[in-house]
Amino acid sequence: MENRHIKLKIKRQDSPDSLPWWEEFCIPYKPNMNIVSVLMEIRKNPVNSKGEKTNPVVWECNCLEEVCGACSMLINGIPKQACASLIDKIYEKTGFEKKIVLEPLKKFPVIRDLTIDRHSMFDNLKRIKAWVSVDGSFAIGRGPRFAEREQKWAYVISRCMTCGCCQEACPNVNPKSNFIGPSAIAQVRLFNTHPIGAMHKEIRLNALMSNGGIQECGNAQNCRKVCPKEIPLTTHIAALNRDTVKYSIWRWFSE
Amino acid sequence: MNYKKSNFLIRKVHSLLAIIPMGLFIILHITLNSSVFYGGITAYKTVINVMQNIPLITEAEIIIIAIPIIFHAIYGLWIVYLAKNNVLTYTYYRNWAFYLQRITAVITLIYLLFHVAILRFLNHDASVIISVLNRTLQNPLFFILYVIGVLSAIYHFTNGIFSFLISWGVIVNDKSQKVLQYIVLLLFVLLGGLSVGILGKITYF
Ligand code: HEM
Ligand code: SF4
Repeated sequence: MENRHIKLKIKRQDSPDSLPWWEEFCIPYKPNMNIVSVLMEIRKNPVNSKGEKTNPVVWECNCLEEVCGACSMLINGIPKQACASLIDKIYEKTGFEKKIVLEPLKKFPVIRDLTIDRHSMFDNLKRIKAWVSVDGSFAIGRGPRFAEREQKWAYVISRCMTCGCCQEACPNVNPKSNFIGPSAIAQVRLFNTHPIGAMHKEIRLNALMSNGGIQECGNAQNCRKVCPKEIPLTTHIAALNRDTVKYSIWRWFSE
Repeated sequence: MNYKKSNFLIRKVHSLLAIIPMGLFIILHITLNSSVFYGGITAYKTVINVMQNIPLITEAEIIIIAIPIIFHAIYGLWIVYLAKNNVLTYTYYRNWAFYLQRITAVITLIYLLFHVAILRFLNHDASVIISVLNRTLQNPLFFILYVIGVLSAIYHFTNGIFSFLISWGVIVNDKSQKVLQYIVLLLFVLLGGLSVGILGKITYF
């Protein structure tokens, strides 16, 4: 056990404008580690596999339990949370001591090393008004109740942590296109189903139908496969296709 | 509200035209061509003659076939350009289908230009069309190219049905999407088999 090692190859970048480069690391294996704890080992002793002293690898994390979305990165090419990626599980797939490759997500600007800027996703949430408006200057009493039947599936959407995995995997999210991406579309479903949120349904549907909206989806359906919170994004996209089509017809004739 | 500036409508039109009239046309086209199995060369010649003598056929060809295809193809090429494909990283079937939808779009475009040039513009007489086609297909290289072109168009159409029904919100939940996936694959096999059969039959006229 003692002489076993975890080998890593990490894509590094010193600043948003500088060029990326690769650096390899080799740290002692212990059972039950995850990518975050491995990165912490590097921070404790920032020496690369050639034995040279280097800058510790920079990454972002908060919750350590796959609910905040901050530590998303490409782990062996697939977008995942570093905290929820157990080394032993990775080795079950790749074989023991196989080099693990870490890269920052490619669809977002890199701030430094594995830290990325997910600003675009929060801007998208603002675009579609992903909230329930209740603030006013006086009490307006209790709102309508959320039906149990809908709560069940709507709750699943509320687990979205804006982690960016779905954006990363979507072939239609890239610098050439202005597609809003799967997660924001699912949030429209959540807030349009919420009894109070539904009062601003049309605003969200209009936003989803503007440039870069839901029409840019081409049904590659990778989002569904990579979402760590198992949100059935493709179902929600299809449901909103239905809502936007209906609404556009209604808007044409009735508004 | 300001919703003027959006490609929502144009995307839906792109999608709808692909089914009506283009999809209906491709089905009609394959159906009529399958007359080669029921009466061979004579039946085929009759079918071509009947089609050519439909009143206002040229106008119909332009409005029902040419304009929708040209629009769908031009805007389609823009959609092809917009994607950054990643099938080597995400190897799921739907992702491949998305990629194939784009590859077959380009192959279909090249095939259609060739097909229409040879069999609609350069030759117009039924017997000439048949003999040109018969001679061309006897060259194994052209036979294979024809099969690739025809299968591409059919994959593009059948996988397009899946995409269309989702883009219009007809099919929503997981279960129905899964069933639909199998149905369109089956349709691809059936229409594909039939079309290759037709090509084979014409080769050995
Ligand atoms: C000639 C060149 C063609 C090009 C460049 C082309 C391009 C495309 C592209 C890029 C898409 C994907 C749209 C998306 O993912 O949003 C598409 C969809 C589709 N195409 Fe074509 N296409 C062509 C010809 C045809 C033909 C001949 C048919 C015949 C039946 C057809 C039927 C369809 C259908 C049914 C869809 C699905 C619509 C949807 O996604 O909602 N296409 N086409
Ligand atoms: S939908 Fe899933 S993959 Fe996309 S941001 Fe939310 S949690 Fe992440």
